[in-house]
Amino acid sequence: MEPLSWGAIAARILLQFLPVWIALAATFGLSWVYRAKLGLYGKLFDNRIGLIGLFLTLFWVYTALAAGLFDWIATHDPLTAVSGMKNKVPGTPLRGAEDGDFPYYLLGGDGLARDVFSRMVAGSWIVVQIAPLATLFAFMAGITLGLPAGYFGGRLDSVLTFAANLILAFPVILLFYLLVTPEIVASGLPAYLSAGLFLLPLVFLGLLINARARTNPRRRWMLLAVMLLPLGWAYLSLISAQGSALDLLPAALDLFDVPGGILVVFVSVIFVNAPTVFRLTRGLTLDLKTRDYVAAAQTRGEGPWYIMLWEILPNARGPLIVDFCLRIGYTTILLGTLGFFGLGLPPDSPDWGTTINAGRKLLSIFPHPAIAPAVALLSLVLGLNLLADGLREESLKD
Amino acid sequence: MTQEPILAIDSLSISFDTRRAEIPAVMDFSVSVQPGEAMGLVGESGCGKSTVALGIMRDLGRNGRIAGGTIRFKGRDMAEMSEAELRRIRGNEIAMIYQEPMASLNPAMKVGRQLMEVPMIHEGVTAEEARARALKMLDDVKLPDPARILDSYPHQLSGGQQQRIVIAMALMSKPALLILDEPTTALDVTVEAAIVELIRDLGRKYGTAMLFISHNLGLVLETCDRICVMYSGEAVETGTVAEVFDTMRHPYTQALFRAIPLPGADKTARPLQAIPGNFPLPHQRPPGCNFGPRCSYFEAGRCDAQAIPMQDVRPGHATRCLRAEEIDWTAEPEAEAETEARTPGKVVLSVEKLKKYYEAGANALFGGETQVVKANEALTFEARESETLAIVGESGCGKSTLAKMLMGLETATEGRILLDGREIQDLPVADRDGGLLGDLQMVFQNPFDTLNPSIPVGRQIIRALELFGYGASDAERRERMLTLLDLVKLPRDFAERMPRQLSGGQKQRVGIARAFAGGARIVVADEPVSALDVSVQAAVTDLLMEIQKREKTTLIFISHDLSLVRYLADRVLVMYLGHVVELGTVEEVFAPPYHPYTEALLSAVPIADTSVEKERIVLEGELPSATNPPPGCPFQTRCRWKAQVAGDRCATELPEMRRFGAHQIRCHLAPEVLTDMPPVLRHAAD
Repeated sequence: MEPLSWGAIAARILLQFLPVWIALAATFGLSWVYRAKLGLYGKLFDNRIGLIGLFLTLFWVYTALAAGLFDWIATHDPLTAVSGMKNKVPGTPLRGAEDGDFPYYLLGGDGLARDVFSRMVAGSWIVVQIAPLATLFAFMAGITLGLPAGYFGGRLDSVLTFAANLILAFPVILLFYLLVTPEIVASGLPAYLSAGLFLLPLVFLGLLINARARTNPRRRWMLLAVMLLPLGWAYLSLISAQGSALDLLPAALDLFDVPGGILVVFVSVIFVNAPTVFRLTRGLTLDLKTRDYVAAAQTRGEGPWYIMLWEILPNARGPLIVDFCLRIGYTTILLGTLGFFGLGLPPDSPDWGTTINAGRKLLSIFPHPAIAPAVALLSLVLGLNLLADGLREESLKD
Repeated sequence: MTQEPILAIDSLSISFDTRRAEIPAVMDFSVSVQPGEAMGLVGESGCGKSTVALGIMRDLGRNGRIAGGTIRFKGRDMAEMSEAELRRIRGNEIAMIYQEPMASLNPAMKVGRQLMEVPMIHEGVTAEEARARALKMLDDVKLPDPARILDSYPHQLSGGQQQRIVIAMALMSKPALLILDEPTTALDVTVEAAIVELIRDLGRKYGTAMLFISHNLGLVLETCDRICVMYSGEAVETGTVAEVFDTMRHPYTQALFRAIPLPGADKTARPLQAIPGNFPLPHQRPPGCNFGPRCSYFEAGRCDAQAIPMQDVRPGHATRCLRAEEIDWTAEPEAEAETEARTPGKVVLSVEKLKKYYEAGANALFGGETQVVKANEALTFEARESETLAIVGESGCGKSTLAKMLMGLETATEGRILLDGREIQDLPVADRDGGLLGDLQMVFQNPFDTLNPSIPVGRQIIRALELFGYGASDAERRERMLTLLDLVKLPRDFAERMPRQLSGGQKQRVGIARAFAGGARIVVADEPVSALDVSVQAAVTDLLMEIQKREKTTLIFISHDLSLVRYLADRVLVMYLGHVVELGTVEEVFAPPYHPYTEALLSAVPIADTSVEKERIVLEGELPSATNPPPGCPFQTRCRWKAQVAGDRCATELPEMRRFGAHQIRCHLAPEVLTDMPPVLRHAAD
């Protein structure tokens, strides 16, 4: 069989993404019809920049979901090498293809004869699994500490701000290297760190419910139990692993184990992002706590956590949402960086950073294994940044 | 008139393009300003008065444009001028002064440099020459020690001083036309009075024509020769100040005057008349007369048939009303059923020697020097059931600190607050029980801030009920919330609305409903209407008084608006620099004997009544800092009566309260001197 021409490659790739196109068309069509009722998200449809950002972001989100959940889009297994396909150019026919196999390596083969296209698609699933969740945890940690720092002020604020500045002053890459160093892992430091950081979201949710339902003790305990028991169990399962520094749950009760590498990735992302979120939240709180509705809440006897979580936080949502979009982008880059340095993720992982690093070695001869994931990373981060820009612009209008 | 006007606006229309449609902000607006004349532009917020000013400056932003009409400056059509010509005119021949002085000054540049820039850019004079002019100008705006001020940064000056700098900057180039957009709204009354006097003097001295934009009719009376009243994008009445004030010929102008508390207003015999309905949004204007739906003289089929043109009542006095000739303008408003006067009951709240000092300035982590801010000094007063006690004073006098201590947001340094004999001064709000919280509530100043923008209105009231321990079930609380909405005269379906869907006045009503949710016995209202438009002010004030009467609430009304205080209060407490300087009934405080500070305050309040004559007393100097108050009498640094006290007692000894029956004045002046003071306000007829 002949290798495919560039036009044919493009056509086949576009066809391969068909589920994504359908999902995008449906999303945009429905959103356009109901845009008047969708608040800030609806207003995005009047903003070209924001719309391009939304398109790029959703493209990768749907690709990841289709590839990760339904095994669509990817043409081959991202981890399987096919003999004779090493460093083949895009459009090379698959050697020894059987019936049912996709007959081409659309974007060629990498240095270990794996399909570049499929690895790129599979890489998106890793990003979409980790980046938003890690960013969310970072936000919960930053918010849980930033609100009281801004609201109470005084010594608490000074101490927390000082700590945040300390972390921000620490070189990020060095921190990552430290966290994955075997001696440090053995000392249990990453495990303890993760135990602390993952506890903050629980504290956050607990305070949220407790503050709201304080006036009705029965409802309060019911809600707290419903919310915190399963979450607490999940938390314990998350942080405890057999044989590690934190072996808290008996194996029978341990719901799932997160690979140590992923946990390190989470911890580093939270550790790096939380101080910035902390500072943003603290600043917003300092501004919002002078509003009359906060004084009104105080004079009707609300507790400080109700005021922080139900009076101040909802009104700080605008800047926080914009920052969240931006920060997912940073986290995506951070994941790329971690993968590039081979930190945290397994060496054959199809994530973009690892793939770029693997393709780097023969960049001048065979650029395609590195270019595909690089373009993917770039377009997703660009999409998120444009989306954040669009949201910011629209939220500032009337 | 033979003289050519400085500014002639002819049937100007200004529109803004928005996402939905093009919104006309100003329609068919004509006005002219003669050399040396001061023209007042009056109207409520959103009527388009600032848009006119921006239109003159051709600074309408990206989505605004002049849709029709002409603006002629010294006879030349400004639409035909090039960008370069416009730039030369702006700031040179037409200068503008904005509301917020700090926003008009560059905080990173010394005042001197900013002033010198004007002649250096527009006339190309040397730096020395510019500096000399700046020094002279600072002298003209009566700033003390001009050389020092030239070397200061804006943040080192007080608000009043900053506004003087802005005025000086505007006058540096000797403009032909000065546009003042609410120049004193952000300032305290006594500072405002001084600035107004300055503007009037300078106008006379330099012969500058002025366009004075304001929502305050009293200020316009004091500064302007002619007035133009605007409503919903249109001029509705123009004429000389005397004509429009005394023989108004437009129903809106009349309604405005009936909505503001003039010295003759009386809460029981002649309550304020709010203008019914709401201001129409620009894209929802009614056909025909814009004021039609709110007008008591409205005639269907005529007033809403076609666009109403401006027509002359007599030369120089025009109105946009078809029925100007038919209406009996002298008729008194229909008197509402005379309401019974409230009789104050027993003492519910008594404050004894209350004192509050703050420590400030130290770093929490590393320490440092602390300063003591003396916010309140030995306050003593009582408040009775169903009585309105007004607390009057300018910013920084400690009235908000007092409110915070009453509410438990701060605890007292010394002294006692007794509520029904129970000491609450050391009980922070977090330790107060539901009953006490419900008893003592507060209405806040800023309607746009008083409600949480993210929570529906009904939910916010229900939450207050939950905390006050009201009702056994959610359904019961919901029912109570709906009756509270009825109480403040809001439709029940407002419960589901978000605060941004409500107007300022409506939000303030929700704030009142929330304060009265737990059957409050004492309500502290901190400037509850000062941020509202005149017509809405009247409605909210009347509502507050009506609820107070029904619930027998003690109302502690914090305000700087003495006209309003005179209208609604029973007793008045005047504060200066943390001290009570005068305490008495309204009649006692508003008539001699006065405390010298009260006298100056009364004189400073602009009154929109041509028949009232005022004694002019302008306070010199600045309000002393609360970290370093003057020894002796707090007012001694600015008091014009100080010379009448023998020795330097004023400077060394804090005066005791001098009593005239229940009326108390903290002053060293001999009782005879105090009683012989001339009244500040006199009716011309007297």
